[in-house]
Amino acid sequence: MDKEKIASIKSGFLEEYQNSRNEKSLYEVKVKYVGRNGELTKILKKLKNLSAEERKQIGTLANEARREIEKAYEARKKELGERIDWEKEKIDVTLPGKKVEIGSLHPVTLVYREIERVFSSMGFEIVEGPELETDWYNFTSLNFPFDHPARDMQDTFWVKSPKEKMVLRTHTSPVQVRYMEKRKPPFRIIVPGRVFRNEATDAKHEHTLHQFEALVVGDDVNVGNFKYIAKEFFSAFFGKKMDIRLRPSFFPFTEPSFEFDITCAICSGKGCTTCKNAGWLEIGGAGMVNQNVFVAAGYPRNKYQGFAWGFGIERLAMMKYKIDDIRWFESGDLRFIKQF
Amino acid sequence: MKYSYNWLKELSGTKKSPKELAELLTMRAFEFEDMKTEGKETQMEFSILPNRGHDALSHTGMAREISACEGRKFSSPPFLKPSFRNGLGVEIQDKKLCPRYIGAVLENISVGQSPKWMQTRLLASGVKPINNIVDITNYVMLETGQPMHAFDIAKIATRNAKPEIIVRKGKKGEKIKLLDEKEYELTEKNLVIADSEKPIALAGVMGGFDSAISRKTTSILLESANFNSTSIRKTRTSHNIITESSHRFEREIDPNLAEAGMARAIEFVKELCGKGAEITAYTDIYPKKVKAWQIRLETSYVNSLLGENIPVPKMKNILENLGLAVKMSGKIFNCEIPTRRIDLKTQEDLIEEIGRIYGYENIKEQAPVVEVKTPPQNLKRDFENKLRDILVGLGFSEVMNYSFYSADDIAKCNLKIEDHIEVANPLSLDQQYLRRNLISNLLKNVKLNLKNFPKVQIFEIGKKFRDNKGKFSEYDHLAGVFVDNLVKETPFFELKGKTEALLINLGYQNVKYEALQNPEMKFWHQSRTARIVINNQEIGKVGEINPQILENYGIKKRVAVFGLKISVLLEMKLPEKQYKAVSKLPIVERDLSMFVEKETKYSDIVASIKKSGGNLVKNINLFDVFEKEGEKSLALRLKIGSDAKTLTSAEIDAVMKKIISALEKDLKVKVRK
Repeated sequence: MDKEKIASIKSGFLEEYQNSRNEKSLYEVKVKYVGRNGELTKILKKLKNLSAEERKQIGTLANEARREIEKAYEARKKELGERIDWEKEKIDVTLPGKKVEIGSLHPVTLVYREIERVFSSMGFEIVEGPELETDWYNFTSLNFPFDHPARDMQDTFWVKSPKEKMVLRTHTSPVQVRYMEKRKPPFRIIVPGRVFRNEATDAKHEHTLHQFEALVVGDDVNVGNFKYIAKEFFSAFFGKKMDIRLRPSFFPFTEPSFEFDITCAICSGKGCTTCKNAGWLEIGGAGMVNQNVFVAAGYPRNKYQGFAWGFGIERLAMMKYKIDDIRWFESGDLRFIKQF
Repeated sequence: MKYSYNWLKELSGTKKSPKELAELLTMRAFEFEDMKTEGKETQMEFSILPNRGHDALSHTGMAREISACEGRKFSSPPFLKPSFRNGLGVEIQDKKLCPRYIGAVLENISVGQSPKWMQTRLLASGVKPINNIVDITNYVMLETGQPMHAFDIAKIATRNAKPEIIVRKGKKGEKIKLLDEKEYELTEKNLVIADSEKPIALAGVMGGFDSAISRKTTSILLESANFNSTSIRKTRTSHNIITESSHRFEREIDPNLAEAGMARAIEFVKELCGKGAEITAYTDIYPKKVKAWQIRLETSYVNSLLGENIPVPKMKNILENLGLAVKMSGKIFNCEIPTRRIDLKTQEDLIEEIGRIYGYENIKEQAPVVEVKTPPQNLKRDFENKLRDILVGLGFSEVMNYSFYSADDIAKCNLKIEDHIEVANPLSLDQQYLRRNLISNLLKNVKLNLKNFPKVQIFEIGKKFRDNKGKFSEYDHLAGVFVDNLVKETPFFELKGKTEALLINLGYQNVKYEALQNPEMKFWHQSRTARIVINNQEIGKVGEINPQILENYGIKKRVAVFGLKISVLLEMKLPEKQYKAVSKLPIVERDLSMFVEKETKYSDIVASIKKSGGNLVKNINLFDVFEKEGEKSLALRLKIGSDAKTLTSAEIDAVMKKIISALEKDLKVKVRK
């Protein structure tokens, strides 16, 4: 009778103590079974009324159960004591983080990096040149006739120079000749850099711009090669398949010369306000290097063929980041820069 | 140029709609700009490439282009050569400036309105009808590309009732009122048409007001001439005039066109200006006749440059449709170029013609065959990009400023104007000089940004320019500024900390900061600026800006600045990084508090400790500093240890004692015990 009761007390405790979630409720469970008026205590108190043989048998069982209960209680108590109180730990994780200053790169830098990454992966060397340039490298060597309108005061910044005529370069192309003077084809280079145009500024015009150009020269480099590389580049730059198209144009340093358009990056060629429903965006100029430029750089006439192409970084950045006014770039205004 | 669609259609025989024509020409010849339809007429505007002004700024030229693009031959209408030769005196003083002059006198003219059809075409081409004579000159120009002019003979000086025309340079002080009713003062650089007394037109640009055609005009002098393009451009830019005539002449016109223009104009005058109209004098001065020239073209080169396999007969066809006479001998073309195509001079010029008419979109993309190799690194660009990344991590944002500033900036920054390179033709006085430093423009950024941000940290990497006694140089430079509205103390130490972090991260070792001695530039704060030195070479500076300059710019907070010479840093070889074994032996910390005189430099204290403590001093760290009554209090934490053994406390005490006594003896330091 009592044997069964002890067993059920023991299993009752072992079931109940598991559910206690804190030390207080665990203690209450313990008191219920082995406290002064606990169920097991009652049996133990009644032991004296039993026969010696029964007392020995039941007493052993009851004491064993009591030890077991005490042991389980201690273990559980320790466990509960070591447990982290998550409620107490709680914080509002939606509060803002502690302010740490981190700067922003200029969008022109971001676009340059992207361009240079793509071209470097295609094996192009990055070459730079001076911003204050001689008349020879900026114009004459690039096949500009002496009376070309670009040489007029209204298009180009000239500096007051005691000796040689000098300009703030109007394009990155002078670097073509500077590079070719030192190197023999085949080669492929890109030239990033700042250029200057003597024109009043407004939302679409700046006198200080950033340009980029590529030059590939070899024995039989052709228009088809240019189309291939331009397509590869723009597809990598915009991260989607881009088409390019060439239209006739004129530049003194290339012949044939092209304007080149790319699939409108906004509407993927379907037609939108950005591309004035044409599906194409005018991006820059290109062409096959004029033999006179090779000759100016010291190469024999008609020995090599090559293409050159360039475009404005600001224009590309405006397209990529949807910037509406070109004057932001040189504004030094953190309200603009901090967005990048 | 603005073209009448109907006119182009009549001349070229095209069946395309205006929209189709716009698309075709954009891809094959000239970019379409705009279109306007009014009644039965459509005006189409195309932007003609600068090297095609010779022939394409006319309806005939454009019609020829359309025919070629559509794969058809074009034949221009023939003209009758006037045979009348008599009586008109023309003297050309400089034949280089005027290669050809045709003058014709027509009498018994009646001036009135031109016919409706002519007016419609003029309007469609963007030209306002005036009277039959003026309209005829404009119509002929729009048709053939040859600018014309008509003078009222009654208004110009004559001898025996015949005008005497002199093509000469302007004289100093001479004045002329032109058709725009403005008076212009002439110079010797201007080419004029004159009678025996006075200039009557600014040659190739605009006619004179006094000799203009009026209702009363009965006899006219018609002019169809050729003028030097550069001279026309200079004249019209110096007077700031642009006309349909100057626009064409400055792009250079074929002198042979003058004859066609004149014949066409005479034909119209006879037809439209009264039954009695007749030529009474005609002179053509054309000393150096321009003849067609030859270009030898290798057909294999065409396909090599374009990267396409265009059949040879197709090439021939394209060139012939453009009006070239092509003789084939084997794989070589001998091409005779019509004189109107002044732009065609080389093989590549012809390849362009073949390529564009063939259609660039028909050229297949072709992967180039290139050597596989790693391109050489651009060390400068890589270095600048590393600078940018570290600076952004340190809280700086990148700006890009103009390469210019003003004389006012130079004065505000206490700089010397003679060190600066001056722009000969600046857009405004704000941009008259090339920047000698990056900081001046950064200060303007600070001023702007403090309106919106309490703390401004910006940097720029760019070129600065210098006139070194006539020798011009440009340098790659980095400059950064730091200002914090919420902090009262000097911004120097926060910026210096960032500068140190930058240089450490880049891997520069033994960087020393030396107080500026005898500041040559009054730009920097004299007592709060350090030269940054590596191996006795100055790589830059860090300091506060002279407060006077800040006041000049209206900046109320102290501003700290650093500048680094990128080219100098690039030349410095960085020591290879090498691992040093981490000591397993214990290192103890000892604090050292002291009073020093105000003039005593921290760098001297550190040097003394290192000298007396030797290699047992592993690290020195300043953790507190304050100034009180002319004395500076410093608190340093030293790390003491040996690489060879565990130091006993007696050994540590001995080192400390040595350090302290050296400080007390050499630097008059009072160590608090």
